[in-house]
Order: sequence, then C-alpha cells, then structure tokens
Amino acid sequence: MEKSCIELKVPSDVYYLESVRAFIGKLSETLRFTKKRIADIQLALDEICSNAVYHGSKCVSCGIQLQISVDMRALEIVVSDKGGVNTRDWLSPEKLAEIQAKRSPTGESGHGLYLIDCLADDHKFKSNMVGGTDVTAIFYRDVQPENG
Amino acid sequence: MTGTEFMTLRENADIKIIDVKTDLSSYAASDLRKVLESLLTEKVSKVVVNFSEVSHINSTAVGTLVGIAKRLRQNGGDLKLCNLASTLTRTFNLIGASSVVEIYETEKSAIAAF
Repeated sequence: MEKSCIELKVPSDVYYLESVRAFIGKLSETLRFTKKRIADIQLALDEICSNAVYHGSKCVSCGIQLQISVDMRALEIVVSDKGGVNTRDWLSPEKLAEIQAKRSPTGESGHGLYLIDCLADDHKFKSNMVGGTDVTAIFYRDVQPENG
Repeated sequence: MTGTEFMTLRENADIKIIDVKTDLSSYAASDLRKVLESLLTEKVSKVVVNFSEVSHINSTAVGTLVGIAKRLRQNGGDLKLCNLASTLTRTFNLIGASSVVEIYETEKSAIAAF
C-alpha cells in the first residue's frame, strides 16, 4: 500500500470539530482499526484539535490544518495551528513537564496532553514556521502486508 | 426545557435528570455547562446525567462534570452519571475522574444512590 495523504483545513471553531471527528472515525473504520482503537483515535484527535482551537488560534479565521497520512504501517495525523495569544515558545521541555506535573485527576482542566500521551502510539510536539505548533499523533495498524 | 437541542430535562422527586442527546466534544460541552450552571442557580442540588445516547466524551466535558459535582457537594447534593458506554467509562478512568464523579450502570441505581 502506497502512502496516501489527505489534507483538511477547518476554521478555528470547536463547532467544526465534530465533523473532523466523524471523518477520522470513518477513515479509521476503513483502515480496519478495532472499535476501541477508533474511539481512542477520535478522542486523541478531539483533544489535539480542541487545544489548537482554544490555545493555538488568535481568531476563527486563523484555521487549523490537518495532514493525515496512511500507509501499511500506520495512520499519522499532524494538526497545525498558527499560535495563540500566549503560546509563543510554550513548547519547552520545562513547560511541557510543568503542564504534566500540574495535572490533577480531580482537576477541571489540563487533561488533554495527558490523554494524547495515553492514547496515541507515538506523538510529538514541534514549533512551526508561523509561530504555532505542529502536533503529530501516530497510530500503528495491526495489519499483515499484502502478498505479491 | 434546557435551552439546547442537545439535552432534555426531567424530574424524579427532588432529583433533576439530564438526558444528553449528543456526543460531548468541546462544542456540546459548553451547552452541558450552561444547563448544569442554570441548575446550580436554581439551587438544585441533586442531579443525574443520563449518557445512554452518548458515544464520545472529551476532557473538556469530563472537567465540566467534575467541577459541577464538587459544587453540588458543597451545596449538600451530588452529581451522578449513568448508562455510560465502555469507551466513556474508559475516558473517565484514564483521567482519574471516576474517583470524583460517581458512575452507575442504570438511571434507577443512580437515583437510588441519593
């Protein structure tokens, strides 16, 4: 199976995230992920996109971009934002460690990064050229290579 | 009436029961917060949220429920959840919120727990 890429761009508004979640659910179903794994993928993407809208966007028209790659090995999703009011240079290892350390199971917020860490097989955060953040989440496929 | 198409409100004696009619991602979570906040304003203290028609919940919605549960307890009441799909229970367990918010298999058992 050759690597296939899909790109989506949606306004920075949580109103549109339900459609994104539905799309990735259907794609994951086509890729024969289990129902449990599809729920994981949808939740991880929901958390990444919600963070991009709430923290990585200065306005609705900024938009967030999704690059979805599929090959025999994995489903890889990169969510890019353009940066929020207070998110410049937030990606230092110290800052990420601080966010994780502050998380309390009984707290009302701060669970998004923790869930992404729990649900994705691999993930990474990277500052991008426009002052925003690229979040990559990888979900490995449990499929056998085609014969021939 | 809840003021939102995503939820309906019923009563059983002094207990308010919210039927959530949609998946709870960030957009619908804000509606859930509004409904729960309005119940707090009305001095309602006992609330059950029925999740039988919900297949997804994110951390924003879980955080909302945790916050409201704490405030209801301060008022001598509580928030109890029922009919959660296994994927929803897993999200509560991963976050650790199931140690704060009580989850019941059925609406009947949630009501009986008050």
